[in-house]
Amino acid sequence: MAIIEVRSLTKVYGREVACREICLSVEEGQIFGLLGRNGAGKTTLVKMLVGLIYPTAGEAEVAGYAPQDIRSRRQIGFLPENFRFHGWLKGRELVAFHGRLAGLDGRMARRRAHEALELVGLAGEGQKLVANYSKGMQQRLGLAAALVGDPRVVFLDEPTSALDPLGRRHVREILLTLKEAGKTVFLNSHLLSEVEQVCDRVAIINQGTVVAAGRLDELQAGPATVAIRLDGLTGELAKELRQLYPDLQREGDRLTVAPGGREEIADLVARLVAGGCRIYEVTPARNSLEDIFVYLVREGELACG
Amino acid sequence: MWLMALFTFREAWRKRVVLVAGGLTLAFLILFGTGLHFVLGDTVRGADLTASFWAMMEVITLSSMGIYLASFLVAGVAILAAVGSVSGEIENGTLYALAVRPLSRRDLFLGKFLGVGAMLIAYAALLFLALAGLIYWQTGLVLPGLGPALGLFILKPLVLLSITMLGTTRLTTLGNGVLAFGLYALAVVGGMMEQIGVLLGNTATVYTGVVTSLVLPADAVYRRLVATVVNRMPLGNGQDVPFLNPQMTLGPIGSGSTPSDWMLVYTLAYVVFLVAVAVYTFQRRDI
Repeated sequence: MAIIEVRSLTKVYGREVACREICLSVEEGQIFGLLGRNGAGKTTLVKMLVGLIYPTAGEAEVAGYAPQDIRSRRQIGFLPENFRFHGWLKGRELVAFHGRLAGLDGRMARRRAHEALELVGLAGEGQKLVANYSKGMQQRLGLAAALVGDPRVVFLDEPTSALDPLGRRHVREILLTLKEAGKTVFLNSHLLSEVEQVCDRVAIINQGTVVAAGRLDELQAGPATVAIRLDGLTGELAKELRQLYPDLQREGDRLTVAPGGREEIADLVARLVAGGCRIYEVTPARNSLEDIFVYLVREGELACG
Repeated sequence: MWLMALFTFREAWRKRVVLVAGGLTLAFLILFGTGLHFVLGDTVRGADLTASFWAMMEVITLSSMGIYLASFLVAGVAILAAVGSVSGEIENGTLYALAVRPLSRRDLFLGKFLGVGAMLIAYAALLFLALAGLIYWQTGLVLPGLGPALGLFILKPLVLLSITMLGTTRLTTLGNGVLAFGLYALAVVGGMMEQIGVLLGNTATVYTGVVTSLVLPADAVYRRLVATVVNRMPLGNGQDVPFLNPQMTLGPIGSGSTPSDWMLVYTLAYVVFLVAVAVYTFQRRDI
Protein backbone atom coordinates (compact mmCIF):
# COMPACT_ATOMS: atom_id res chain seq x y z
CA MET A 1 0.00 0.00 0.00
CA ALA A 2 1.41 3.39 -0.97
CA ILE A 3 1.78 5.66 2.04
CA ILE A 4 3.23 8.53 0.05
CA GLU A 5 1.64 9.34 -3.28
CA VAL A 6 2.87 12.24 -5.39
CA ARG A 7 1.13 13.21 -8.60
CA SER A 8 2.56 15.82 -10.98
CA LEU A 9 3.83 17.95 -8.13
CA THR A 10 5.27 21.23 -9.38
CA LYS A 11 6.73 24.19 -7.56
CA VAL A 12 7.65 27.38 -9.34
CA TYR A 13 9.32 30.39 -7.74
CA GLY A 14 8.87 33.28 -10.13
CA ARG A 15 10.54 32.03 -13.30
CA GLU A 16 12.51 29.34 -11.51
CA VAL A 17 11.11 25.81 -11.57
CA ALA A 18 12.19 24.04 -8.36
CA CYS A 19 10.19 20.86 -9.01
CA ARG A 20 8.54 19.87 -12.26
CA GLU A 21 5.66 17.37 -12.48
CA ILE A 22 7.10 14.93 -9.99
CA CYS A 23 5.33 11.59 -9.66
CA LEU A 24 6.35 9.19 -6.93
CA SER A 25 4.89 6.41 -4.90
CA VAL A 26 6.38 5.03 -1.69
CA GLU A 27 5.13 1.81 -0.17
CA GLU A 28 4.57 1.53 3.56
CA GLY A 29 7.47 0.01 5.48
CA GLN A 30 10.12 0.93 2.95
CA ILE A 31 13.17 3.11 3.16
CA PHE A 32 12.94 5.39 0.17
CA GLY A 33 15.94 7.40 -0.93
CA LEU A 34 15.69 10.63 -2.86
CA LEU A 35 18.97 11.44 -4.52
CA GLY A 36 20.11 14.54 -6.24
CA ARG A 37 22.89 17.06 -6.29
CA ASN A 38 22.67 20.25 -4.28
CA GLY A 39 19.89 22.47 -5.61
CA ALA A 40 18.23 19.66 -7.54
CA GLY A 41 14.91 20.20 -5.79
CA LYS A 42 15.08 17.52 -3.07
CA THR A 43 14.40 19.81 -0.12
CA THR A 44 11.60 21.60 -1.98
CA LEU A 45 9.93 18.26 -2.64
CA VAL A 46 10.25 17.15 1.00
CA LYS A 47 8.95 20.50 2.24
CA MET A 48 5.90 20.09 0.01
CA LEU A 49 5.35 16.58 1.40
CA VAL A 50 5.43 17.77 5.02
CA GLY A 51 3.22 20.77 4.28
CA LEU A 52 5.73 23.58 4.73
CA ILE A 53 5.51 24.65 1.10
CA TYR A 54 2.41 24.85 -1.08
CA PRO A 55 2.77 23.28 -4.54
CA THR A 56 2.12 25.42 -7.60
CA ALA A 57 0.42 22.46 -9.28
CA GLY A 58 -0.19 18.77 -8.71
CA GLU A 59 -1.05 17.00 -5.50
CA ALA A 60 0.40 14.78 -2.82
CA GLU A 61 -0.93 12.49 -0.14
CA VAL A 62 0.90 11.31 2.94
CA ALA A 63 -0.78 8.57 4.96
CA GLY A 64 -3.95 9.16 2.97
CA TYR A 65 -4.26 12.92 3.52
CA ALA A 66 -3.00 16.13 1.99
CA PRO A 67 0.27 17.27 3.60
CA GLN A 68 -1.35 20.33 5.21
CA ASP A 69 -4.00 18.18 6.84
CA ILE A 70 -3.55 17.76 10.59
CA ARG A 71 -4.43 14.05 10.18
CA SER A 72 -1.40 13.64 7.94
CA ARG A 73 0.84 15.53 10.35
CA ARG A 74 -0.17 13.30 13.24
CA GLN A 75 1.55 10.47 11.38
CA ILE A 76 4.80 12.08 10.33
CA GLY A 77 8.12 13.00 11.83
CA PHE A 78 10.48 15.40 10.11
CA LEU A 79 14.14 16.21 10.47
CA PRO A 80 14.78 19.33 8.38
CA GLU A 81 18.08 20.05 6.71
CA ASN A 82 19.00 23.57 7.78
CA PHE A 83 17.40 23.60 11.16
CA ARG A 84 18.24 24.89 14.60
CA PHE A 85 16.54 24.24 17.85
CA HIS A 86 15.68 26.61 20.66
CA GLY A 87 19.00 26.87 22.48
CA TRP A 88 17.41 27.95 25.76
CA LEU A 89 15.79 24.53 26.22
CA LYS A 90 17.46 21.45 27.61
CA GLY A 91 17.68 18.52 25.19
CA ARG A 92 15.13 16.46 27.10
CA GLU A 93 12.73 19.39 27.40
CA LEU A 94 12.92 20.02 23.68
CA VAL A 95 12.16 16.44 22.70
CA ALA A 96 9.36 16.24 25.30
CA PHE A 97 7.90 19.49 23.94
CA HIS A 98 7.83 17.99 20.46
CA GLY A 99 6.14 14.96 22.01
CA ARG A 100 3.47 17.24 23.49
CA LEU A 101 2.98 18.93 20.13
CA ALA A 102 2.65 15.49 18.56
CA GLY A 103 -0.31 14.87 20.86
CA LEU A 104 1.22 12.98 23.80
CA ASP A 105 0.30 13.87 27.36
CA GLY A 106 2.99 15.25 29.67
CA ARG A 107 4.03 11.98 31.31
CA MET A 108 4.05 10.02 28.04
CA ALA A 109 5.97 12.81 26.29
CA ARG A 110 8.69 12.70 28.95
CA ARG A 111 8.91 8.92 28.75
CA ARG A 112 9.05 8.92 24.96
CA ALA A 113 11.62 11.72 25.04
CA HIS A 114 13.87 9.59 27.22
CA GLU A 115 13.48 6.61 24.86
CA ALA A 116 14.10 8.74 21.76
CA LEU A 117 17.23 10.27 23.28
CA GLU A 118 18.44 6.80 24.19
CA LEU A 119 17.82 5.61 20.64
CA VAL A 120 19.97 8.38 19.13
CA GLY A 121 22.69 8.00 21.76
CA LEU A 122 22.01 11.18 23.71
CA ALA A 123 20.54 9.66 26.86
CA GLY A 124 23.30 11.14 29.02
CA GLU A 125 23.08 14.59 27.44
CA GLY A 126 19.40 15.32 28.03
CA GLN A 127 20.01 17.80 30.84
CA LYS A 128 22.35 19.98 28.77
CA LEU A 129 21.13 23.17 27.15
CA VAL A 130 20.63 22.69 23.41
CA ALA A 131 22.82 25.76 22.84
CA ASN A 132 25.75 23.74 24.20
CA TYR A 133 25.23 20.80 21.82
CA SER A 134 27.71 20.25 18.98
CA LYS A 135 26.35 20.26 15.43
CA GLY A 136 26.38 16.48 15.29
CA MET A 137 24.57 16.25 18.62
CA GLN A 138 21.97 18.73 17.38
CA GLN A 139 21.40 16.54 14.33
CA ARG A 140 20.85 13.51 16.55
CA LEU A 141 18.60 15.58 18.78
CA GLY A 142 16.61 16.55 15.67
CA LEU A 143 16.23 12.87 14.86
CA ALA A 144 14.99 12.21 18.41
CA ALA A 145 12.47 15.06 18.06
CA ALA A 146 11.31 13.62 14.73
CA LEU A 147 10.79 10.17 16.25
CA VAL A 148 9.31 11.10 19.64
CA GLY A 149 5.70 10.99 18.43
CA ASP A 150 6.17 7.44 17.09
CA PRO A 151 5.33 8.49 13.50
CA ARG A 152 4.33 6.14 10.69
CA VAL A 153 6.37 8.08 8.16
CA VAL A 154 9.68 9.77 8.88
CA PHE A 155 11.10 12.38 6.53
CA LEU A 156 14.81 12.90 6.97
CA ASP A 157 16.48 15.67 5.00
CA GLU A 158 20.24 15.05 4.95
CA PRO A 159 20.20 13.42 8.40
CA THR A 160 23.90 12.65 8.54
CA SER A 161 25.46 15.74 6.99
CA ALA A 162 27.00 16.84 10.31
CA LEU A 163 27.91 13.40 11.61
CA ASP A 164 31.23 11.59 11.74
CA PRO A 165 31.51 8.07 10.24
CA LEU A 166 30.51 6.42 13.52
CA GLY A 167 27.51 8.73 13.83
CA ARG A 168 26.50 7.92 10.25
CA ARG A 169 26.68 4.23 10.91
CA HIS A 170 24.54 4.72 14.02
CA VAL A 171 21.91 6.60 12.01
CA ARG A 172 21.90 3.84 9.39
CA GLU A 173 21.27 1.34 12.16
CA ILE A 174 18.40 3.48 13.47
CA LEU A 175 16.89 3.60 9.97
CA LEU A 176 17.02 -0.18 9.71
CA THR A 177 15.45 -0.47 13.17
CA LEU A 178 12.64 1.82 12.04
CA LYS A 179 12.14 -0.32 8.96
CA GLU A 180 11.94 -3.45 11.11
CA ALA A 181 9.27 -1.71 13.17
CA GLY A 182 7.25 -1.19 9.98
CA LYS A 183 7.92 2.55 9.66
CA THR A 184 8.37 4.26 6.34
CA VAL A 185 11.46 6.39 5.93
CA PHE A 186 11.82 9.03 3.24
CA LEU A 187 15.52 9.74 3.13
CA ASN A 188 16.75 12.78 1.31
CA SER A 189 20.46 12.65 0.72
CA HIS A 190 23.28 13.33 -1.63
CA LEU A 191 25.44 10.72 0.09
CA LEU A 192 25.15 7.87 -2.38
CA SER A 193 26.85 5.22 -0.29
CA GLU A 194 24.43 5.89 2.54
CA VAL A 195 21.42 5.51 0.28
CA GLU A 196 22.89 2.42 -1.36
CA GLN A 197 23.30 0.74 2.02
CA VAL A 198 19.84 1.22 3.45
CA CYS A 199 17.28 2.09 0.79
CA ASP A 200 14.82 -0.30 -0.82
CA ARG A 201 13.82 2.12 -3.53
CA VAL A 202 15.37 5.30 -4.82
CA ALA A 203 14.49 8.17 -7.07
CA ILE A 204 17.04 10.44 -8.65
CA ILE A 205 16.04 14.03 -9.11
CA ASN A 206 17.86 16.43 -11.37
CA GLN A 207 16.96 20.03 -12.12
CA GLY A 208 13.58 19.54 -10.48
CA THR A 209 12.65 16.43 -12.44
CA VAL A 210 12.73 12.78 -11.43
CA VAL A 211 15.07 11.18 -13.95
CA ALA A 212 15.01 7.66 -12.57
CA ALA A 213 13.05 5.76 -9.95
CA GLY A 214 12.77 2.17 -8.92
CA ARG A 215 14.16 -0.57 -6.76
CA LEU A 216 17.87 -0.26 -6.26
CA ASP A 217 18.61 -3.63 -7.89
CA GLU A 218 16.45 -2.69 -10.89
CA LEU A 219 18.37 0.50 -11.43
CA GLN A 220 21.66 -1.25 -10.99
CA ALA A 221 20.66 -3.92 -13.51
CA GLY A 222 20.73 -1.42 -16.33
CA PRO A 223 23.43 -1.21 -19.02
CA ALA A 224 26.71 -2.21 -17.39
CA THR A 225 30.13 -2.95 -18.82
CA VAL A 226 31.77 -6.35 -19.29
CA ALA A 227 35.54 -6.74 -19.22
CA ILE A 228 36.86 -9.67 -21.29
CA ARG A 229 40.46 -10.86 -21.16
CA LEU A 230 41.19 -12.63 -24.39
CA ASP A 231 43.77 -13.53 -26.99
CA GLY A 232 43.61 -13.75 -30.77
CA LEU A 233 41.32 -10.81 -31.55
CA THR A 234 41.86 -9.81 -35.18
CA GLY A 235 41.56 -6.24 -36.39
CA GLU A 236 38.72 -7.23 -38.68
CA LEU A 237 36.69 -8.74 -35.83
CA ALA A 238 37.41 -5.76 -33.60
CA LYS A 239 36.09 -3.45 -36.36
CA GLU A 240 33.00 -5.56 -36.73
CA LEU A 241 32.37 -5.49 -32.99
CA ARG A 242 32.89 -1.73 -32.80
CA GLN A 243 29.98 -1.31 -35.20
CA LEU A 244 27.80 -3.29 -32.79
CA TYR A 245 29.20 -1.72 -29.62
CA PRO A 246 30.35 1.84 -30.34
CA ASP A 247 31.77 2.27 -26.83
CA LEU A 248 34.03 -0.78 -27.17
CA GLN A 249 37.50 -0.22 -25.74
CA ARG A 250 40.59 -2.32 -26.23
CA GLU A 251 43.63 -2.16 -23.99
CA GLY A 252 46.17 -4.91 -24.63
CA ASP A 253 44.44 -8.22 -24.03
CA ARG A 254 41.48 -6.56 -22.35
CA LEU A 255 38.27 -5.66 -24.09
CA THR A 256 35.59 -3.56 -22.44
CA VAL A 257 32.07 -3.33 -23.89
CA ALA A 258 28.63 -2.33 -22.69
CA PRO A 259 26.16 -4.96 -23.88
CA GLY A 260 22.42 -4.49 -23.44
CA GLY A 261 21.88 -7.43 -21.08
CA ARG A 262 22.89 -10.91 -19.99
CA GLU A 263 21.92 -12.55 -23.33
CA GLU A 264 24.07 -10.14 -25.25
CA ILE A 265 27.06 -11.07 -23.10
CA ALA A 266 26.58 -14.72 -24.08
CA ASP A 267 26.22 -13.75 -27.77
CA LEU A 268 29.34 -11.63 -27.63
CA VAL A 269 31.42 -14.41 -26.08
CA ALA A 270 30.10 -16.88 -28.69
CA ARG A 271 31.01 -14.49 -31.49
CA LEU A 272 34.53 -14.00 -30.11
CA VAL A 273 35.06 -17.75 -29.81
CA ALA A 274 33.71 -18.28 -33.33
CA GLY A 275 36.14 -15.59 -34.53
CA GLY A 276 39.07 -17.58 -33.18
CA CYS A 277 39.59 -15.84 -29.85
CA ARG A 278 40.60 -17.60 -26.65
CA ILE A 279 38.68 -16.28 -23.67
CA TYR A 280 40.45 -16.26 -20.30
CA GLU A 281 38.13 -14.14 -18.20
CA VAL A 282 34.69 -12.49 -18.46
CA THR A 283 33.98 -9.99 -15.70
CA PRO A 284 30.61 -8.23 -15.72
CA ALA A 285 30.77 -4.95 -13.81
CA ARG A 286 27.74 -4.09 -11.68
CA ASN A 287 26.50 -0.51 -11.99
CA SER A 288 27.12 1.36 -8.80
CA LEU A 289 24.56 3.92 -7.72
CA GLU A 290 27.24 6.52 -8.26
CA ASP A 291 27.65 5.44 -11.91
CA ILE A 292 23.91 5.67 -12.47
CA PHE A 293 23.68 9.00 -10.68
CA VAL A 294 26.58 10.58 -12.55
CA TYR A 295 25.31 9.22 -15.87
CA LEU A 296 21.76 10.51 -15.34
CA VAL A 297 22.82 13.89 -14.03
CA ARG A 298 25.26 14.42 -16.90
CA GLU A 299 22.67 13.26 -19.42
CA GLY A 300 20.23 15.72 -17.91
CA GLU A 301 22.74 18.54 -18.21
CA LEU A 302 23.38 17.70 -21.87
CA ALA A 303 19.66 17.55 -22.60
CA CYS A 304 19.08 20.91 -20.94
CA GLY A 305 22.09 22.48 -22.60
CA MET B 1 -2.41 26.86 20.85
CA TRP B 2 -2.09 27.10 24.65
CA LEU B 3 0.97 24.86 24.59
CA MET B 4 2.56 27.23 22.07
CA ALA B 5 1.53 30.27 24.13
CA LEU B 6 3.11 28.78 27.24
CA PHE B 7 6.22 27.91 25.24
CA THR B 8 6.51 31.50 23.95
CA PHE B 9 6.01 32.90 27.45
CA ARG B 10 8.65 30.53 28.85
CA GLU B 11 11.00 31.50 26.04
CA ALA B 12 10.80 35.17 27.02
CA TRP B 13 11.40 34.20 30.63
CA ARG B 14 14.28 31.80 30.02
CA LYS B 15 16.01 34.05 27.51
CA ARG B 16 16.09 36.63 30.26
CA VAL B 17 14.09 39.08 28.12
CA VAL B 18 12.00 39.71 31.22
CA LEU B 19 15.12 40.18 33.35
CA VAL B 20 16.68 42.69 30.93
CA ALA B 21 13.40 44.56 30.42
CA GLY B 22 12.82 44.47 34.19
CA GLY B 23 16.30 45.85 34.89
CA LEU B 24 15.89 48.68 32.41
CA THR B 25 12.43 49.42 33.74
CA LEU B 26 13.74 49.57 37.28
CA ALA B 27 16.43 52.01 36.11
CA PHE B 28 13.72 54.12 34.45
CA LEU B 29 11.58 54.10 37.58
CA ILE B 30 14.53 55.08 39.79
CA LEU B 31 15.42 57.89 37.39
CA PHE B 32 11.84 59.11 37.18
CA GLY B 33 11.38 58.83 40.94
CA THR B 34 14.57 60.82 41.53
CA GLY B 35 13.39 63.48 39.10
CA LEU B 36 9.99 63.56 40.70
CA HIS B 37 11.54 63.93 44.14
CA PHE B 38 13.81 66.81 43.25
CA VAL B 39 11.56 68.63 40.78
CA LEU B 40 8.57 68.68 43.06
CA GLY B 41 9.43 71.20 45.71
CA ASP B 42 8.03 71.49 49.16
CA THR B 43 5.16 73.48 47.67
CA VAL B 44 3.78 70.28 46.17
CA ARG B 45 4.86 67.68 48.68
CA GLY B 46 2.33 67.64 51.47
CA ALA B 47 0.34 70.50 49.94
CA ASP B 48 -3.40 70.45 49.28
CA LEU B 49 -3.36 69.86 45.56
CA THR B 50 -7.00 70.69 45.13
CA ALA B 51 -6.28 74.19 46.37
CA SER B 52 -3.15 75.05 44.40
CA PHE B 53 -3.46 75.23 40.65
CA TRP B 54 0.29 75.54 40.04
CA ALA B 55 1.19 72.69 42.36
CA MET B 56 -1.40 70.57 40.60
CA MET B 57 -0.02 71.55 37.20
CA GLU B 58 3.44 70.43 38.29
CA VAL B 59 2.02 67.04 39.24
CA ILE B 60 -0.02 66.80 36.04
CA THR B 61 2.98 67.67 33.87
CA LEU B 62 5.35 65.26 35.59
CA SER B 63 2.77 62.44 35.69
CA SER B 64 2.02 62.89 31.98
CA MET B 65 5.72 62.90 31.18
CA GLY B 66 6.16 59.71 33.20
CA ILE B 67 3.28 58.01 31.42
CA TYR B 68 4.56 59.25 28.05
CA LEU B 69 8.08 57.88 28.62
CA ALA B 70 6.79 54.63 30.12
CA SER B 71 4.54 54.10 27.13
CA PHE B 72 7.61 54.56 24.90
CA LEU B 73 9.38 51.88 26.88
CA VAL B 74 6.45 49.48 26.57
CA ALA B 75 6.15 50.23 22.84
CA GLY B 76 9.83 49.38 22.34
CA VAL B 77 9.49 46.12 24.28
CA ALA B 78 6.33 45.21 22.29
CA ILE B 79 8.04 45.70 18.94
CA LEU B 80 11.29 43.99 19.94
CA ALA B 81 9.49 41.02 21.49
CA ALA B 82 7.45 40.33 18.36
CA VAL B 83 9.65 41.56 15.52
CA GLY B 84 11.14 38.16 14.68
CA SER B 85 8.62 35.79 16.20
CA VAL B 86 7.83 34.22 12.80
CA SER B 87 10.42 35.65 10.38
CA GLY B 88 13.27 35.16 12.84
CA GLU B 89 12.28 31.55 13.43
CA ILE B 90 12.19 30.94 9.69
CA GLU B 91 15.55 32.67 9.21
CA ASN B 92 17.27 30.62 11.90
CA GLY B 93 15.46 27.37 11.06
CA THR B 94 13.66 26.78 14.36
CA LEU B 95 10.20 26.95 12.81
CA TYR B 96 10.57 24.00 10.41
CA ALA B 97 10.28 21.32 13.05
CA LEU B 98 7.41 23.12 14.82
CA ALA B 99 5.34 23.89 11.74
CA VAL B 100 5.05 20.22 10.70
CA ARG B 101 3.51 19.18 14.01
CA PRO B 102 -0.22 18.42 14.18
CA LEU B 103 -0.99 22.02 14.99
CA SER B 104 -2.67 24.35 12.51
CA ARG B 105 -0.77 27.42 11.40
CA ARG B 106 -3.54 29.48 12.97
CA ASP B 107 -2.98 27.87 16.37
CA LEU B 108 0.78 28.16 16.02
CA PHE B 109 0.49 31.87 15.27
CA LEU B 110 -2.17 32.62 17.87
CA GLY B 111 -0.14 30.72 20.45
CA LYS B 112 2.80 32.97 19.77
CA PHE B 113 0.59 36.06 19.83
CA LEU B 114 -0.97 35.07 23.14
CA GLY B 115 2.41 34.20 24.68
CA VAL B 116 3.97 37.55 23.77
CA GLY B 117 0.70 39.34 24.53
CA ALA B 118 0.50 37.84 28.03
CA MET B 119 4.06 38.90 28.72
CA LEU B 120 3.35 42.44 27.49
CA ILE B 121 0.15 42.72 29.52
CA ALA B 122 1.98 41.66 32.68
CA TYR B 123 4.89 43.98 31.96
CA ALA B 124 2.73 47.00 31.08
CA ALA B 125 0.48 46.48 34.10
CA LEU B 126 3.43 46.25 36.50
CA LEU B 127 5.11 49.29 34.97
CA PHE B 128 1.98 51.43 35.10
CA LEU B 129 1.15 50.42 38.66
CA ALA B 130 4.76 51.08 39.72
CA LEU B 131 4.55 54.52 38.10
CA ALA B 132 1.26 55.28 39.81
CA GLY B 133 2.74 54.08 43.10
CA LEU B 134 5.74 56.36 42.63
CA ILE B 135 3.47 59.36 41.97
CA TYR B 136 1.42 58.53 45.05
CA TRP B 137 4.56 58.15 47.15
CA GLN B 138 5.97 61.49 46.08
CA THR B 139 2.78 63.57 45.86
CA GLY B 140 0.14 61.72 47.82
CA LEU B 141 -2.07 61.69 44.74
CA VAL B 142 -3.82 58.52 43.62
CA LEU B 143 -3.95 58.70 39.82
CA PRO B 144 -7.61 59.21 39.03
CA GLY B 145 -9.24 56.80 36.58
CA LEU B 146 -6.58 54.23 37.45
CA GLY B 147 -8.57 51.27 36.13
CA PRO B 148 -9.43 52.65 32.67
CA ALA B 149 -5.99 54.21 32.44
CA LEU B 150 -4.37 50.86 33.15
CA GLY B 151 -6.52 49.28 30.45
CA LEU B 152 -5.45 51.92 27.93
CA PHE B 153 -1.80 51.61 28.94
CA ILE B 154 -2.02 47.87 28.23
CA LEU B 155 -3.90 48.39 24.97
CA LYS B 156 -1.12 50.45 23.39
CA PRO B 157 1.51 47.65 23.28
CA LEU B 158 -1.17 45.26 22.02
CA VAL B 159 -1.79 47.59 19.07
CA LEU B 160 1.93 47.58 18.32
CA LEU B 161 2.08 43.83 18.86
CA SER B 162 -0.65 43.26 16.26
CA ILE B 163 1.08 45.32 13.55
CA THR B 164 4.49 43.79 14.34
CA MET B 165 3.06 40.27 14.33
CA LEU B 166 1.46 40.95 10.96
CA GLY B 167 4.78 42.19 9.62
CA THR B 168 6.71 39.20 10.88
CA THR B 169 4.51 36.80 8.90
CA ARG B 170 5.61 38.36 5.62
CA LEU B 171 8.73 40.50 6.01
CA THR B 172 12.27 39.78 7.15
CA THR B 173 13.02 40.53 10.79
CA LEU B 174 15.05 43.60 9.88
CA GLY B 175 12.43 44.87 7.43
CA ASN B 176 9.68 44.32 9.96
CA GLY B 177 11.61 46.15 12.66
CA VAL B 178 12.14 49.13 10.37
CA LEU B 179 8.46 49.13 9.39
CA ALA B 180 7.14 48.81 12.96
CA PHE B 181 9.40 51.50 14.43
CA GLY B 182 8.79 53.68 11.37
CA LEU B 183 5.03 53.43 11.71
CA TYR B 184 5.25 54.08 15.44
CA ALA B 185 7.37 57.19 14.83
CA LEU B 186 4.81 58.30 12.24
CA ALA B 187 1.98 57.83 14.72
CA VAL B 188 3.82 59.75 17.46
CA VAL B 189 4.72 62.64 15.15
CA GLY B 190 1.16 62.65 13.79
CA GLY B 191 -0.20 62.72 17.34
CA MET B 192 2.03 65.63 18.27
CA MET B 193 1.04 67.53 15.12
CA GLU B 194 -2.59 66.99 16.03
CA GLN B 195 -2.07 68.50 19.48
CA ILE B 196 -0.13 71.44 18.09
CA GLY B 197 -2.87 71.86 15.47
CA VAL B 198 -5.44 72.16 18.25
CA LEU B 199 -3.30 74.74 20.05
CA LEU B 200 -2.94 76.77 16.86
CA GLY B 201 -6.47 76.13 15.65
CA ASN B 202 -5.14 74.60 12.43
CA THR B 203 -7.65 72.04 11.12
CA ALA B 204 -5.38 70.57 8.42
CA THR B 205 -2.73 69.68 11.00
CA VAL B 206 -5.37 68.11 13.25
CA TYR B 207 -6.63 65.97 10.36
CA THR B 208 -3.08 64.85 9.58
CA GLY B 209 -2.89 63.51 13.12
CA VAL B 210 -6.24 61.79 12.75
CA VAL B 211 -5.07 60.06 9.56
CA THR B 212 -1.86 58.78 11.21
CA SER B 213 -3.98 57.55 14.12
CA LEU B 214 -6.08 55.56 11.67
CA VAL B 215 -2.92 54.04 10.16
CA LEU B 216 -1.61 53.07 13.62
CA PRO B 217 -3.79 54.03 16.58
CA ALA B 218 -1.00 53.55 19.16
CA ASP B 219 -0.56 57.26 19.86
CA ALA B 220 -4.30 57.82 19.93
CA VAL B 221 -4.53 55.30 22.79
CA TYR B 222 -1.92 57.30 24.70
CA ARG B 223 -3.85 60.57 24.12
CA ARG B 224 -7.00 58.96 25.40
CA LEU B 225 -5.07 57.70 28.43
CA VAL B 226 -3.74 61.19 29.24
CA ALA B 227 -7.24 62.59 28.91
CA THR B 228 -8.60 59.84 31.19
CA VAL B 229 -6.09 60.69 33.92
CA VAL B 230 -5.67 64.46 33.62
CA ASN B 231 -9.32 65.37 33.07
CA ARG B 232 -10.22 63.62 36.32
CA MET B 233 -7.55 65.33 38.39
CA PRO B 234 -8.58 68.10 40.76
CA LEU B 235 -8.41 71.27 38.66
CA GLY B 236 -7.46 69.07 35.75
CA ASN B 237 -10.49 69.89 33.63
CA GLY B 238 -9.86 73.61 33.75
CA GLN B 239 -13.18 74.35 35.40
CA ASP B 240 -11.55 76.16 38.27
CA VAL B 241 -9.21 78.14 36.04
CA PRO B 242 -11.26 78.53 32.89
CA PHE B 243 -8.62 80.52 31.03
CA LEU B 244 -6.06 77.71 31.21
CA ASN B 245 -6.84 74.13 30.21
CA PRO B 246 -4.11 71.82 31.59
CA GLN B 247 -4.35 69.64 28.46
CA MET B 248 -3.28 72.66 26.45
CA THR B 249 -0.39 73.48 28.76
CA LEU B 250 0.93 69.95 28.30
CA GLY B 251 1.48 70.79 24.62
CA PRO B 252 2.66 67.89 22.42
CA ILE B 253 2.35 65.32 25.23
CA GLY B 254 -1.15 66.43 26.23
CA SER B 255 -4.52 65.55 24.84
CA GLY B 256 -6.02 68.79 23.62
CA SER B 257 -7.63 66.75 20.88
CA THR B 258 -8.93 63.67 22.69
CA PRO B 259 -9.77 60.55 20.68
CA SER B 260 -13.43 59.61 20.90
CA ASP B 261 -15.05 56.38 22.08
CA TRP B 262 -15.39 55.43 18.42
CA MET B 263 -11.64 55.71 18.08
CA LEU B 264 -11.30 53.19 20.89
CA VAL B 265 -13.75 50.87 19.16
CA TYR B 266 -11.74 51.34 15.95
CA THR B 267 -8.55 50.47 17.85
CA LEU B 268 -9.99 47.24 19.21
CA ALA B 269 -11.31 46.31 15.78
CA TYR B 270 -7.90 47.24 14.32
CA VAL B 271 -6.14 44.73 16.61
CA VAL B 272 -8.61 41.95 15.80
CA PHE B 273 -8.45 42.69 12.06
CA LEU B 274 -4.65 42.76 11.95
CA VAL B 275 -4.39 39.48 13.85
CA ALA B 276 -6.90 37.91 11.44
CA VAL B 277 -4.90 39.15 8.43
CA ALA B 278 -1.70 37.88 10.02
CA VAL B 279 -3.23 34.42 10.53
CA TYR B 280 -4.44 34.44 6.91
CA THR B 281 -1.00 35.49 5.63
CA PHE B 282 0.85 32.95 7.77
CA GLN B 283 -1.48 30.15 6.70
CA ARG B 284 -0.77 30.79 3.05
CA ARG B 285 2.94 31.43 3.03
CA ASP B 286 5.69 28.95 2.24
CA ILE B 287 8.07 28.25 5.07
